[in-house]
Amino acid sequence: MTSPQARAVALPLLALLLVAAVLGLQVGNGGGDFVPTASADPCTPRAVQSAATGIDALSEEIVLLGLDGAACRLGVSRESLLLSIVQDQRPPGTVDAVRGGLQDAVGRLDRENRLPKASVLADEAIGLSDLSGFVKVALRAIPDRLIDSQLDTGEVLGRAVRAIDVAQLLDNLNDPGLLQRSVQDAVVQAARDEIVDRVRTLF
Amino acid sequence: MRRTRLLALAVGIVLADSAIVTLALPQILRELGGTVTGVAYVLISFNAVLALAAVPAARLCQRRDPAPYAAVGLVVFAIASAGCALAPSMNVLIAARVVQAVGGALVVVACLELLVASTGSEPAGVRRWIAAGVIGTATGPVIGGLLTEAISWQSIFIAQVPLVLLAVPAALSLRLRPRDTPQAGPRGADAGVEQDKGERPDVAANLALGLVSAALTAALFLVVLLLVEGYRRSPATAALAVSVVPLAALAARPLARLARAGARSEIVAGTLLVAGGLAALAYLPDARLFWTVAPQALVGLGLGLTVDALTLAALQSRGPRVRHGGWTIAARHAGVVLGLALLTPVFTADLQQAQVPAQESIAALVLDAQLPPQTKIDLAVGLADRLSKESGRVPDLHPAFAGLRLGVIDQIVADRLEGQLDDQLERAATQAFRNSFLLAAGLGLLALPFLLPLPGRRW
Repeated sequence: MTSPQARAVALPLLALLLVAAVLGLQVGNGGGDFVPTASADPCTPRAVQSAATGIDALSEEIVLLGLDGAACRLGVSRESLLLSIVQDQRPPGTVDAVRGGLQDAVGRLDRENRLPKASVLADEAIGLSDLSGFVKVALRAIPDRLIDSQLDTGEVLGRAVRAIDVAQLLDNLNDPGLLQRSVQDAVVQAARDEIVDRVRTLF
Repeated sequence: MRRTRLLALAVGIVLADSAIVTLALPQILRELGGTVTGVAYVLISFNAVLALAAVPAARLCQRRDPAPYAAVGLVVFAIASAGCALAPSMNVLIAARVVQAVGGALVVVACLELLVASTGSEPAGVRRWIAAGVIGTATGPVIGGLLTEAISWQSIFIAQVPLVLLAVPAALSLRLRPRDTPQAGPRGADAGVEQDKGERPDVAANLALGLVSAALTAALFLVVLLLVEGYRRSPATAALAVSVVPLAALAARPLARLARAGARSEIVAGTLLVAGGLAALAYLPDARLFWTVAPQALVGLGLGLTVDALTLAALQSRGPRVRHGGWTIAARHAGVVLGLALLTPVFTADLQQAQVPAQESIAALVLDAQLPPQTKIDLAVGLADRLSKESGRVPDLHPAFAGLRLGVIDQIVADRLEGQLDDQLERAATQAFRNSFLLAAGLGLLALPFLLPLPGRRW
């Protein structure tokens, strides 16, 4: 038989035990950690994989890695940088940081031997270009081995990055296709210019 | 017996109105427009006016036969309920809620006397009155949610009209004879004058009641908002989820009888359970509803142990009974107002702050998604549109995905991405509500010092 005093103390103690059990269960199962995923450090290299192929994939990888590089230079997360660009509140130095980031991206892909051979890039670039049919046939007749020995993909892309008008690109992001088109056009243009330069040098 | 039930039902309906529209608030907001803070006034106005009107209404019922006041209150409440249902704007709805609360105050305090008369026993009548209030408060959000889902938010108010009007004849049939009226008690007319002044209210019990009610507001208001607005569950699903609170509250009384620990021990235990349950709601491991069950069960048990015991403690051996009943209603609903006034700005500010990490995590997932670049760009434009359209609220991202034209593989990837984005929103919402739940738990714990067994306390 328990005394009234013991029963009076037991009920609040039982309540505390129940609370501790429920809180323990919640926290033990990740309660407190159920928060939005934190942004990754843009200065730590991350693996980038595109669902596209060819120049589209290459463009996407360069843009994603370039965004990382730009964010790292500015000391913000890539998501924060992207949102500030989209919301027209980009921090000072964004244009230079983006260009630098894109150059870093090309350099990284080149170092990691992840850039496609120039012949692959050139074939797709020729197909997308507005060159005349005769010139296209002539360029395609050049053996891949010759193109690969004469053209460095890293050089082509470096040229493309230098050619992109980053400020205009960032100002016109409200056009959904512009980002992709601008990068793609710059790559195609750079490949064509590089090929034309090399061809001119050959003759 | 039928008369007693109708009167208890009327008390339950009035006190259920304190939180009955909680689950309907998102729908009201969509239909009548306004802000989250603005729509909170649909709750705040009712509770504030009920708190302010309860004691003056009790004074009226103390001086004269409470039956006509109950009848007038029931009719005013019914007309105002119809007004709520027909309200064309938020301002009209809030005004109708104010009138509802004035009528409701008369109903609740007058019915305390009428239930005592109807049952023929003070303890039985008081217990019926308290139980009706506890059940009404606890079941209000559940009933409101089910009606909102099944019919509309207006149906909540329409359904009340016939139910409260049924109690009018019951109230009028209990016209108390002069010797039964509260001001002329067994001590005669002279004593009536003394009793009219009455004893001072039990400050400790009423303050504790107010603080526990403020904490309970979080359970009845924030949980519903988290489920409906944060996790985008339907009002019916949310209603079923929050039905844990009334079920646990009903189980509390038999458990207390089994424990035989005494009123103070029950109130202390109940307060700890309310605070602990709210703290557990602040640490939900994910957005699955079953994680809310145990914390809500703690809150429900706490509600069942504290509110009726504290109300009884505030009424115990104090006269006039109706006046002290009015004080308990004032304390409870002032507590609800305090809870809403403190919690609403905290959670709306936290919800606003949660937007940045949520947007960043959404941006990261879209950037890294294994979708074609053009699809990602189209999706980003759609998502930005959703986020800007529902600024300050947790957005529904589905329309951004519904507009995409994708192949089978890409559709699978997009579906998985949509799930991941919703998960991030749920994480952001859970985080945004955390401070409010913890603040509410703190409000509950503030009641503990008023429960100490100090000299002069009658309970």
